[in-house]
Amino acid sequence: MPPRIPTKSSASSASALWTRTIGANYRQPKPEGGPNYLQAFGAGPNKPFPLNPQFRSERVLDEQARELIWEKVMRRGETLKAVSAELGVDLTRVAAVVRLKEVEKDWISKGKKLATPYSKAVLGMLPTKSFRPGVQNQPLEPINELHIHTATQKQLFWPTAESRQFTREDAAKAFHAKMLSADKRVPHPELIQMEKDLLKGMSPDEARARFIKAAEQSERKAAEKQQRKAMAEEQATKKVNTPRFEFRFKEVDSELVGKDGRAPNVVGWKYGMPHYDRKKGLVKIPTSVP
Amino acid sequence: MTIKIRLARFGRRNAPFYNIVVAHARTARNSKPLEVIGTYDPIPKADPYDDSGRLHKDIKLDTLRAKYWIGVGAQPTDTMWRLLSMVGIMEPKYRNQQPRTAPQLPADIKKPEASSSA
Repeated sequence: MPPRIPTKSSASSASALWTRTIGANYRQPKPEGGPNYLQAFGAGPNKPFPLNPQFRSERVLDEQARELIWEKVMRRGETLKAVSAELGVDLTRVAAVVRLKEVEKDWISKGKKLATPYSKAVLGMLPTKSFRPGVQNQPLEPINELHIHTATQKQLFWPTAESRQFTREDAAKAFHAKMLSADKRVPHPELIQMEKDLLKGMSPDEARARFIKAAEQSERKAAEKQQRKAMAEEQATKKVNTPRFEFRFKEVDSELVGKDGRAPNVVGWKYGMPHYDRKKGLVKIPTSVP
Repeated sequence: MTIKIRLARFGRRNAPFYNIVVAHARTARNSKPLEVIGTYDPIPKADPYDDSGRLHKDIKLDTLRAKYWIGVGAQPTDTMWRLLSMVGIMEPKYRNQQPRTAPQLPADIKKPEASSSA
């Protein structure tokens, strides 16, 4: 009996056919640059996965936009909030851009080699967003979105009289006694005040100036708070220098153990309780910048 | 029974972390102590953004409770003695860290010679 010759499966041959016909268009990048996503199955622009139209490839800040943000914050001394509001970039993204740009500039000054070709290649394949300085730009993303607070995730039945005003403050109080209203929890509460000023008939320039001043004030307040916290920590710590290491003694209160000795912030590892440092689903990487 | 101020090892493999505990001397290392008065992280750490190479160790301590237990006769272990002496709760046990040398003998005393002995 002659040996059996393996034949290609239908899926394999269909794939080969696609590569020869439609797929040939995607073999090379577009000469003008930009994303070159599959356009099959009626998927619109910026949808790289034809079978998952829910996934949209969002625009990323290009090199010039990031440089502009860094320039505004570090050179011209504008506040993060003002830059975020002006360009329509999320507050945390503005802060991240500034930090990463600082690292980049530090590397350049130290003569470290940057992965510029890689960055260019990746940015060339993604939809990007750039800003023109000095003019009103289209925002990149919504900036005043509210993080979902766990206390607001329960359903409430809260009867109130129709004659009574029920504001956002009251809604917050209904969820939790210590909860702030939505107006105060948004990243830019100063923008709400600016809109209120505009509604009162204040001129846009004046309202904007007041917003910038309020943003500066809030940033200064946050910085002072951070400084006070660092000072308090410094005072509570006794440092002892030895030739090899510095020993830092921090004063704690060992009597805050609660009734059963298992209070959540008791000093030291606890007895008879699991340590959740390896529990599934818990974040194990640092979540904040020191 | 003797009461000790000592360390109880917690943490993971290759990542030790100690509770500073007050416990009866003859109980197991990690048994439930009378009191936890602090922690000791023996792994030296660098400050963020500091590349000078200088490292530090973090210790949390309730000095008030430590003083109380010393006052009622608790005995620190050598390691705890060293740490407590840094914050001035104990007198340093090992003052002179240099290797010891015998004092010079007076010149008129003759050294005993091995050959002279019978």
